[in-house]
Amino acid sequence: MTSNFAPPFAEISQVWASPEEHAAVAAFLAHEAEAIDSRNFAEWLSLVDDEFTYQVPVPRTPDNPFSPHFDSRSMLIDESKWSLESQWFRRLDLDLYELSWAENPPVRFRHFVSNIRVRRTDDPKILDVRSNVMLVGTRQSDAPKFLTGERTDAISVVDDGYRLTRRWVVLDQVVIDFPQLRIML
Amino acid sequence: MIEADRPVSVLRRTWGDEEVFARELERVFKHSWQFLAHDSEIPEPGDYVQRRMGRDRVIVVHSEDGVNRVFLNTCRHRGVPLCRADEGNTSHFRCSYHGWTYANTGVLRGVTYQPDVYGPGGIDKSELELFAPAHVDTFLGMIFATWDQDAVPLREYLGDLTWYLEAIMGKFDDGLEVVGTPVRNIVKANWKTEGENLSGDGYHTMVTHATAVELGLFATPKDLEKLTDVVTPRFTGRTVDCGNGHTIRVQRLPVEIESNQYWGYPEDMWEQFDRNLSPGQQQVMSALSVCHGSVFPNMSFIENFKTNVDGPGLHARYFRITVRYPISATHCEQLWFLLQPRNADPQWRRLSAQAYLRTNGPSGMFEIDDTENFVGISEASVGEIARDKPITYLGGLQNPKTPSEVGWPGDAVDGDKTEKTLRAFHRQWAVMMGENEVVS
Repeated sequence: MTSNFAPPFAEISQVWASPEEHAAVAAFLAHEAEAIDSRNFAEWLSLVDDEFTYQVPVPRTPDNPFSPHFDSRSMLIDESKWSLESQWFRRLDLDLYELSWAENPPVRFRHFVSNIRVRRTDDPKILDVRSNVMLVGTRQSDAPKFLTGERTDAISVVDDGYRLTRRWVVLDQVVIDFPQLRIML
Repeated sequence: MIEADRPVSVLRRTWGDEEVFARELERVFKHSWQFLAHDSEIPEPGDYVQRRMGRDRVIVVHSEDGVNRVFLNTCRHRGVPLCRADEGNTSHFRCSYHGWTYANTGVLRGVTYQPDVYGPGGIDKSELELFAPAHVDTFLGMIFATWDQDAVPLREYLGDLTWYLEAIMGKFDDGLEVVGTPVRNIVKANWKTEGENLSGDGYHTMVTHATAVELGLFATPKDLEKLTDVVTPRFTGRTVDCGNGHTIRVQRLPVEIESNQYWGYPEDMWEQFDRNLSPGQQQVMSALSVCHGSVFPNMSFIENFKTNVDGPGLHARYFRITVRYPISATHCEQLWFLLQPRNADPQWRRLSAQAYLRTNGPSGMFEIDDTENFVGISEASVGEIARDKPITYLGGLQNPKTPSEVGWPGDAVDGDKTEKTLRAFHRQWAVMMGENEVVS
């Protein structure tokens, strides 16, 4: 299984999207973050492809500055639309949430998405979208904690807008200090 | 002397008191064997990983002469760390302060500007090897070390647990390997809370993990009826005090079967398990629901059969090791290792990794619910009143001893909802810490 995991794009495209497309994708990402932060999971699911995958490789401090600061052999998170819908979100439904101890009361999440870069790929229906993300999490009465990372999203262009097809997030923090790790970055 | 199956009560200050914590660093961590790494992480000469013993940072390195060694990650000269990466490969470690250079065998090889600084004769390098623990040893690929010169040998220390670890880790023809860099995270809980639970708490599962069970991640009769003909009403199991604070709990699926069923592994691997395990060990591994335990003080292991992890009917076992480094009375750093059989089917390995990540991985459903309990225990134990109140470990005192003809080593009882293993963990802890921590 070595090197089974790889970022969505082997190489970074050199073709930038138009300013209009960039603005539309930025609005899509803001909408997506709003849906997840407000725990509107049905709406969030409507924004992702059926084949959606979400992966966060394990961050590390390598021994030379030219190696990536993650290990693509091992994952911190490896989820699909199916697992998110039937495992992550399902247990927050009205009939189950009372026994979903770690999420009752829920950690409050707040996304800050910036430095959005939208590039075209060889496939006119797929955009290479990179962004910086800061996720702030606040558990109960604790002080907030935050995580930062770089997202690489594959976003599909569809008739009525966009769908998130893949999300790959490289975290900056190696010893992760966050209230809970069941997180959509 | 604390009797077997005691203590049944300790003080809550064990979970959040800085004075107790300071004594633990002295009495427990300076004198116990501690798990550091698996030899598959450093297969080649020069490979190293950085780990901790107590609060000390250590380098675990596969030396040029083939020996795995452990060194305090600090220069003999003025104390600068020699290694800043988590992992890598090097023949020498060079200090960034004055350039002292050590071979990966720990020998000081190079000292800069010797005549200028130390006179014509230079400095005697032979007295300046890197600081190393008193003993380093390996069992089933697991590298342990201790600072205690008088420590018993590792196999003797692990005692009756070796038989169970062989059942778990020794059943594969090609052995196990760690999959990638371990996850590291900060847990806002005392370092013992998760270890105590993993020592063998089968009592909490149906409450803490109620939603995970409801969502099909834990085997139900409905899942099992598709695997075999005779499904019985109740899970069975055993809990074992293996001595020296080491423990295991084994829970068996509620089925009646005529031959060994290693569900959760590809069927073409089953033959090697029968060949590599004794009949008693086969009984531990066949129709396994879950087995988990702790190696005193801060390592735990779990082999777990998880159901419907990537869709209906997609079941797999995984094997995980965790270790908790003490930071303070109420914080620890946890490392998470997924180990998989070498050369196993890649598709199964992916499913097994998902079975791990989605249940007992750092973001897994079982784990996040567990962690909320552990964090809460520390939070609720730091107050002036709470700290002197007792904790109760009376569960399973009445359970029958496992008959000796079953052949399971250690002090075993039938029943997996006991608190026997928790008593065993705290007995060893109290032996090292002083018995005034024990209420009864």
